[in-house]
Amino acid sequence: MSDRLRLCVIGALCASLGLAACGQPEQDSVVNVFSARHYASDQEVFRAFTEETGIEINLVEADGDLLIERVRADGERSPADVIITVDAGRLHRAEQAGLFQPVDNLGGMLDRVPDSLVHPDNLWFGFATRARVIVYARDRVDPSEVQTYADLARPEFEGRVCVRSSSNVYNQSLVAGMIAEDGSEAAESFARGIAQNLARTPQGGDTDQIRAVAAGECDVAIVNHYYLGRLMNAEDSADRAVGEAVGIIFPDQGQGGTYVNISGAGLAANAPNPEAARALLAFLLSERAQRAFAELTNEFPADPSVSYDNTVLEGFAGFEARDMNVNALGENGAEAQRIFDRVGWP
Amino acid sequence: MAIADTSTLHRKLTGRTGLHPVWLAAFAGLLCAAPLLAVVWLGMSGAWSDYLIHIANTRLAEFLINTAIVGLTAALLAGVIGTGTAWLVTRHVFPGRNLFQWMLALPLAMPAYAAAYGWYDLTQGAGPLGGLVPAVHGPFGAGAIFGLVFYPYVYLLARESFSAQSADAYDAARTLGCSPFQAFARTALPMVRPAIAAGLALVVMEALADYGTVSHLGAPTLTVALMRAWAGEGSIPDAARLAMLLVSISFLIFMAERALRRRARQTAASGHVRAFRRQRLSPLAGMLAVLACLLPVLMGLVIPAARLGWRAAYTPAATGLMDAAVNSLTLAGVSGLLAAGIGLGLAYAIRTRKLAGRASARIASMGYGVPGAVAALGVLIIFGGVQGWLDTLWRGMTGSPFPLVLTGSALALIFAYQARFIAAAIGPSESALSRVTPSLDAAARTLGARPLTLARRVHWPLVSSGVALAGLLVFVEVLKELPATMILRPFNMNTLAVTAHNFAADERLGQAALPAVLLVAAALPAMIWIARRITATERSRDTVPPSEAIPGLAE
Repeated sequence: MSDRLRLCVIGALCASLGLAACGQPEQDSVVNVFSARHYASDQEVFRAFTEETGIEINLVEADGDLLIERVRADGERSPADVIITVDAGRLHRAEQAGLFQPVDNLGGMLDRVPDSLVHPDNLWFGFATRARVIVYARDRVDPSEVQTYADLARPEFEGRVCVRSSSNVYNQSLVAGMIAEDGSEAAESFARGIAQNLARTPQGGDTDQIRAVAAGECDVAIVNHYYLGRLMNAEDSADRAVGEAVGIIFPDQGQGGTYVNISGAGLAANAPNPEAARALLAFLLSERAQRAFAELTNEFPADPSVSYDNTVLEGFAGFEARDMNVNALGENGAEAQRIFDRVGWP
Repeated sequence: MAIADTSTLHRKLTGRTGLHPVWLAAFAGLLCAAPLLAVVWLGMSGAWSDYLIHIANTRLAEFLINTAIVGLTAALLAGVIGTGTAWLVTRHVFPGRNLFQWMLALPLAMPAYAAAYGWYDLTQGAGPLGGLVPAVHGPFGAGAIFGLVFYPYVYLLARESFSAQSADAYDAARTLGCSPFQAFARTALPMVRPAIAAGLALVVMEALADYGTVSHLGAPTLTVALMRAWAGEGSIPDAARLAMLLVSISFLIFMAERALRRRARQTAASGHVRAFRRQRLSPLAGMLAVLACLLPVLMGLVIPAARLGWRAAYTPAATGLMDAAVNSLTLAGVSGLLAAGIGLGLAYAIRTRKLAGRASARIASMGYGVPGAVAALGVLIIFGGVQGWLDTLWRGMTGSPFPLVLTGSALALIFAYQARFIAAAIGPSESALSRVTPSLDAAARTLGARPLTLARRVHWPLVSSGVALAGLLVFVEVLKELPATMILRPFNMNTLAVTAHNFAADERLGQAALPAVLLVAAALPAMIWIARRITATERSRDTVPPSEAIPGLAE
């Protein structure tokens, strides 16, 4: 008994030492992924990658800001090969912390992605996009009234707008985009208008805003498109009814285009398995992976030529996206948050 | 005097080891405090931006008011529910009492954010209860959620304290014409005040450190300001400064708790424990008691979990839950045992009244009042520093850097848990040790008990249930812990809490349900065991004649 115990202790010690060393014996037979995403689509993509290349994936999933601190604390010794997050703001933060190294064009794969979704120095790129859209109550709102983001800030919408808290990065990135496009003053007056038009104190997530519109608590809401896609594709008929009660508008068509954000990835500065990491990064842009993002997560593929089997998403596609480099979202995020504080968007 | 006496114990130990045990405890305390100290260092040395001025000019008042409302609402609700139900189950006989003994503790296993998601989904305008009951949101809603999931802290500590109490004062009050309630308020309640205060301190600190619940329910507290400094502004030093503000608030709460405890020292029961007789309630009163015990369990656990579960019916189940459950239980079990030991050591260190011991225990406790993400950041800073130091050392010896063992290992996680939750282990042990009165030590010494015998035969029987409770609290905390687990865990290792959070954070409530319910199920055996332990000591006390209630002294 005590022998077995001793064996266990020794085994545990060796395992914890070996854990750090693993990946070194065989060059690039593994790739270590630090991801702020946790979607079924990603599991599917990672599984397919291992199946096709034989390279195993080691995964840590955590929230973006802590993920950055972890890689930073580990420094040169960080086991991270690939860093994945869900917002350009986070990628910008990671890049500022020096966590990325440039990738070449990944054997031509990166050419498939529009320039606006790639960091100017190829330090990271978007592999899927999400649009910040307007949903409205079909029975109470004439869609012609809400064709732009600025429409929601007009006095007619006083007490009719639902949107989640300004602590959420999606709202920060939206206003950060406006700062980059139209300047701080215009962005601030938009945010002030929204704060004045709120139907209720911001609460819940994007899905809760859509539900509130369907239930009549408010008439319009600002949400990411895939939350509506998820409701419309839901198994629960009550959820599908919510999806049918609201309409979707891609704002600012013909006026610069709808703001989009990315799910993005980059090669870690001190990646111990750089070749495997490049292979995975390229795989994220492969047709198989791009389809998975569209079909399982309702995100738009970064490669516009990829076709997929998702009727709801196909119905959304074809809108004009803002032609600005998403890097600007990160650069202006802090200023956006200060605007929220000043105008009282809680 | 206790002071003189325990130091005799220490002198003996010192003679044997050459080291005063208080230093050992102080070292453990400082180790637990290290991550917090790293955050403080970051706040002091980091670059200053104008963010704090910006916050002071814009939303600071809102953050402070919300923090106060959330904390007070949680404390009030948890205090009333926790104390009331503990009084009911320890001193009364009514249908289902044995069941409620441990069931009342269960909401503690429900992560606060999961309860918040469930309740909000039920009561928002679009939910099934929308319009029928007020929507659970804002600072009062968040405070209510905290009261409902954290009242077990007060309940567990108060129950433990009530059941260890002698019946003398209560019976005397009744004989002198007090109604049961008056007797309760004048005799029983003052004696459990330290336990209630310790429980409330934990409740309030939990509430102040929470981020998930308050941000979902739209009740921005100081923690939200802190996370905005970090995530939105990108200024970690400013986040660290706001964390220091939170720590100062926790410090004040601790001081208040200390003050209460010091006053209670004089009123504490003597070593003489005469078992109380449980009062049988009339059928009507019994039904009311059942209702009073049932409601908190329903509202804190069953209703929100059922709402999540209802949504689960329409979503594919999460996979890998068995592995996650095993990981959760292993980490929580090891950390709970370790924390129970360290907590008892620190509780003794406080009792010695040596500055080093008391100060290290107090500083170690402060980690509880900061948001989990900040505590995890502190651990990262410490490990980054130690790893760099090891690398230099190892390179000097072997020419190659030391393997990267600190982050991404189970060791890192267990250290992080101790640093974060040791306060939950110190409180119950300290509260239990406060029952070991100076006169008791003196009596045992007079009867010739040597210091180690004193600790084993007099102290241990009195404090063991408190120590078990300490272990249980940390066990449950670790089951629920998120940020440190997420960021420090080894590759490909999941826990139930992480799985539940990942789905809930992505607004997939249905898929979060199963891991959340499993979390509660995982805590169940431990809770039942503890409840039985405490009732077992009660039972044995019931059968032992009063003069022999303290084992060992009669020899």
